[in-house]
Amino acid sequence: MNRLAKQDGIVRCMPWRKYTVIYRSVLLENLQYAANIAVGFFSYAVFIYTFIMLWGYMYQTPGELIAGYTKEQMIWYVMMTEMIWFGSSAASVAREVSTDIRGGNIAYLMNKPYHYTLYVLAKYTGGWSIRLPMYAMLAVVIGTALVGPLPRFPLAAVPAMALCVVLGLTINAVLKMCISLFSFWIEDATPFQWLYDKLLLIVGTMFPVEIFPETLQPLFKLTPIYTVCYGPAKLIVDFSPEKCVEILAVQAVYLLAGCGLMFLIYGRGVKKLYVNGG
Amino acid sequence: MTRRKTSGGRLFCADRSGTETANEKDEVFRVCLFANKQSRKTAETGCMYTGREEESEMQAIRVENLSKTFRVKRKEKGMRGSVKAIFHPQTEEIHAVNGVSFSVEEGEMLAFIGPNGAGKSTTIKMLTGILYPDGGRVEVLGVDPTKKRRQLAYQIGTVFGQKEQLWTHLTPYDNFRFFGAIYDLTERETEARIGELSERFALKEFIDTPVRNLSLGQRIRCEMVAALIHKPKVLFLDEPTIGLDPVVKENVRELIRQMNREERTTIFLTSHDVGDIEKLCRRIIIVNDGQIVLDDSVEHLKSHYPNEHAADIGTHEREQEAAGSGDSSDVSLEDIIVEIYRSQGEN
Repeated sequence: MNRLAKQDGIVRCMPWRKYTVIYRSVLLENLQYAANIAVGFFSYAVFIYTFIMLWGYMYQTPGELIAGYTKEQMIWYVMMTEMIWFGSSAASVAREVSTDIRGGNIAYLMNKPYHYTLYVLAKYTGGWSIRLPMYAMLAVVIGTALVGPLPRFPLAAVPAMALCVVLGLTINAVLKMCISLFSFWIEDATPFQWLYDKLLLIVGTMFPVEIFPETLQPLFKLTPIYTVCYGPAKLIVDFSPEKCVEILAVQAVYLLAGCGLMFLIYGRGVKKLYVNGG
Repeated sequence: MTRRKTSGGRLFCADRSGTETANEKDEVFRVCLFANKQSRKTAETGCMYTGREEESEMQAIRVENLSKTFRVKRKEKGMRGSVKAIFHPQTEEIHAVNGVSFSVEEGEMLAFIGPNGAGKSTTIKMLTGILYPDGGRVEVLGVDPTKKRRQLAYQIGTVFGQKEQLWTHLTPYDNFRFFGAIYDLTERETEARIGELSERFALKEFIDTPVRNLSLGQRIRCEMVAALIHKPKVLFLDEPTIGLDPVVKENVRELIRQMNREERTTIFLTSHDVGDIEKLCRRIIIVNDGQIVLDDSVEHLKSHYPNEHAADIGTHEREQEAAGSGDSSDVSLEDIIVEIYRSQGEN
């Protein structure tokens, strides 16, 4: 039984139960659209094929290393980061929050006994829970067929890798939501979302951090790039327990700080809410 | 708390800011019938009050001097105006709600109406904790919505006729289970409530059909069940019958009446449909320009307003009829409301 206590005649249950139900409802909803998700596979496949060709041209001799990555590692790295990018569709979080605030829909969500930001996060998690595994399977098929399996891949470490990916997705969603929540003050937070997305896409997704000048690398590792895409993908292509612990620790810090910031911005912003009409 | 009571249950107060204590003032309902702004000013110092006889009854909603101001951007027309707005943004203050005070008894069905842009929805949003008031005080079931919105959410329900709250890809049954969990009901409680409400609202035929495939009437009934799943003490209905055919409208009204009767749910209704008001509510509050311009019983309004404003009400034909017969009883509530809106607009 999930119950905690009875207050004011109302039975309060474990607070996470309602978010689990929101998650499950989105999951049920998205299951009906699994075929639609598969349509996105085409873009992913084209993207990966382009990178396979590109890196095939860059790596001229077998066994060559570029920025410490073999050709297989480099292509698998890109496939993993793109899998996270396509499979998470974090843009939906930003879009949903911005639209809710600007269009006034948030008014109809706020009068329920849940926290709006956690509601959005639960919905988002329900969304990627279907999409990400589908993209992961596609990545494995394409990677195995066109590049070959990763050498010395530790199957036993898959749960730890999965945890890193999940935390990375959640951190990304929290940060994107923080940016969108600025819609309470500014009319449109899209330009800030664009900057954030491009930073992640260019620095962490298309190319690993090691490709960039050494002087910039420590800076990049302080940014969300490290926790959202670079860290989890690096762990998959070049796993080590020490690196795993380090990434998980940084992710924990990012998640706590990000959630704190999210609740703070929401708490302040909601007082500025302007909803007219009805 | 003392109340001065007349035989008709109406109180007349000479001076609102006179010798009465603040608490005494809280206890009386304003029933100020303002024909124009001039008389509204008069009413501030010498208006007619009416008290409710049920001293023991609890107030479900209490609003004092509630105000909300929005700052709206203004832009001159054309490209020049757009460029100018970048460097010199101009804003205008809109007093959406301006010093509104009223209270609603537990179990009461109140119509809160007004023309578009009068401040109805803004008031509802402040009552449900969505918007923060700029001034004044709100209490719903003894809870300040601005401070304890989520706590209040367990005790209130909302139905917005123009806004779907249900998840359209899920069936009503899955939606109700979802809302049951949101309101922290156990599975057994949720199932029992679904059974009870689906029978009362006759949902059995389509309870397993995705919401997106339901007709508007079926959907509204499901919306109401979703809003009632946690047995709210106060139900805010915003245009609940909009777009429904007359038969379905009547069914929905009957369900609301039944719910009010059996569960003693306080109903706070906004609607442009006079039928909703007439068939559901005993009391009516009309707002305009963010202020209350009328707070009266529907019965009293229908019987007294036409006599006092016979020449103003209705169409030319109705004026002639009224003049000919001298009987104002056939003046509809809709005509009265339209006239009040018009007189407010003119003023």
